[in-house]
Amino acid sequence: MVLILSGFYCVMGIMPLFFGNTAYIMNILIMILIWAVVASCWDVIMGFAGIFSFGQVAFYVIGAYASAILSVSLGIPPVFTIIMAGVITGVIGVLVGLPCLKLAGPYVALVTFAVHMTLIPFLRGPLGRAIGSGGSQGILTIPPINLLGFAFSSEQLVPFFYLTLFLTIICTLILALIIKSYWGTAFLALKDSENFATSLGISAFKYKLMVFGITSFITGLFGALYAHYVGMLSTKMLSMDVFTILMIMMVIGGIGKYPGVVVGAVITVTINQLLAPLGMYRPLIMGAIVVVLVLFLRDGVIGLAQKFSPLQQKTG
Amino acid sequence: MVFEIIDVIISGLINGSVYALMAVGLTLVYGVTKAFNFAYGSFYNMGGYFAWMLLIPLGMIGGYFSVFFIAIPVFFVVGYLLEKILVSPLRKYDDWEMKVMMLTLGLSLFMDFGYQAVFGPRIKSLPGMIEGTLELGQVVLFRQDIVIFILSVGGMLCFGWLLNNTRTGMAVQAVAQNPAGAKIVGIPKDFIFAATFAISTIMVGFGGILLCQKNFVDPMGSTNIMIKAWVITAFGGMGSISGSLYAAFILGMLEAFVGWHFGMIYVQIATLTLLLVTLTIRPRGLMGRE
Repeated sequence: MVLILSGFYCVMGIMPLFFGNTAYIMNILIMILIWAVVASCWDVIMGFAGIFSFGQVAFYVIGAYASAILSVSLGIPPVFTIIMAGVITGVIGVLVGLPCLKLAGPYVALVTFAVHMTLIPFLRGPLGRAIGSGGSQGILTIPPINLLGFAFSSEQLVPFFYLTLFLTIICTLILALIIKSYWGTAFLALKDSENFATSLGISAFKYKLMVFGITSFITGLFGALYAHYVGMLSTKMLSMDVFTILMIMMVIGGIGKYPGVVVGAVITVTINQLLAPLGMYRPLIMGAIVVVLVLFLRDGVIGLAQKFSPLQQKTG
Repeated sequence: MVFEIIDVIISGLINGSVYALMAVGLTLVYGVTKAFNFAYGSFYNMGGYFAWMLLIPLGMIGGYFSVFFIAIPVFFVVGYLLEKILVSPLRKYDDWEMKVMMLTLGLSLFMDFGYQAVFGPRIKSLPGMIEGTLELGQVVLFRQDIVIFILSVGGMLCFGWLLNNTRTGMAVQAVAQNPAGAKIVGIPKDFIFAATFAISTIMVGFGGILLCQKNFVDPMGSTNIMIKAWVITAFGGMGSISGSLYAAFILGMLEAFVGWHFGMIYVQIATLTLLLVTLTIRPRGLMGRE
């Protein structure tokens, strides 16, 4: 796991030396970093904690909108609003998690997905406009991040890339710590035998809620980062194809095979960019990709790698 | 004022009856096969487009009679094949429930954008089954609404009869109650799974044909329908048919009243709030069992 992750970040770290002047490729690289973290959070929730949360995109959008609204309406510097957005998303995550995590699997999927679906009318409607979501038009003028007089705007991609990389590495470390720590072991125990694990005093609810909160926080943080990167937001972010892209990352990477999703993010963002000229046929193809991958790629690329190299059984 | 409320109640009843038809299909599939079908809304749209295609470009003789007549076997075959090709290969894995959710979500995206690619992004309107109105004093009823109500309630009764009185229906119940036991007594489990999926496809497709006459066929409207059907199913208790029936009418009414009093934009928020409150108090829904 450490090998794949450190290799990935080293390669990402030297990428701007080659492509620093090509805005198109830098944009793809930044999106890969952002999606890699969001997808990793989802993998920790679904694959490790075993919660069928379908609200990951919703949390991402909540973070983005929270930061945008705070910085546009209240004029707070984006450096602080990003952190505040993370905290807000974390709190909402816990609030959603409180009733949710006591439910059985499919109910959780339903409720979290319903949160996603309700966000669209909420942000477009008068309630959303009252808090400054801009209705169906969205928010168009989000200020860039300004740190000590230096603006990380979308004009200068290389500094923004390194800022994203820095945050990505911190968040990846947090996630890796969760997986490797007592919590990760607790989740494995809960997944293998819930009754036995609870009899040993492992509280499923407590750990699930904590992980839900932390991953929501990180997701919100990166949603906010994205908002200040692109400079405008609309409810299009909640459309099904964004959700599907995130899902393809999971399926390519393998659910619960942690660094796999990072590889999945690289592949998926690239494919998505390559398919962009196809217009409305792109989601059609994405949907077909999901169906085919779920059927034929059981454990994702990590599973494939394990299958063909019996020596490296312990990559995950 | 009073007549307005009566109108709202009637519209709630009609929506509720079609939702009930769809939710019963969904709860049946979940109760029997434990598969969580996210493409349910796209099957609803399939019904709408199927009827549109037969009636408008092909100009089918016999109108809706022939539509229903052709739709039932076609939907059965579509549902059966989808289950056999897509869902049943996943069943042998441990985490198949999650995989089925993901697969059906991908399938729904594929179908929705497929409709858009084939039929174009604009909404289509279906002709009504029957024209004219019926006046009872000051209350004006659309004949079409009455027919929709009768057909969906009739469809449900017919379905209930099939479930309780035919061998296949009883086999479906047996598999739902105890899959292992059903296998021991020689019930072909795989066939029952596929057949249940196919029946639910018929029910939701039927619902699509009925409700699209009132609400148009919208290629992007499927997630809404899917959420509605799922909320009803969860609210009523997954796998409980009577629960879904109550839930469908309660939510149909809620939707009509909230839409009338506060505006359509609050319908989804109200529905979700009701669902969350219900699940907090009763984690298995209204009539759900352990």
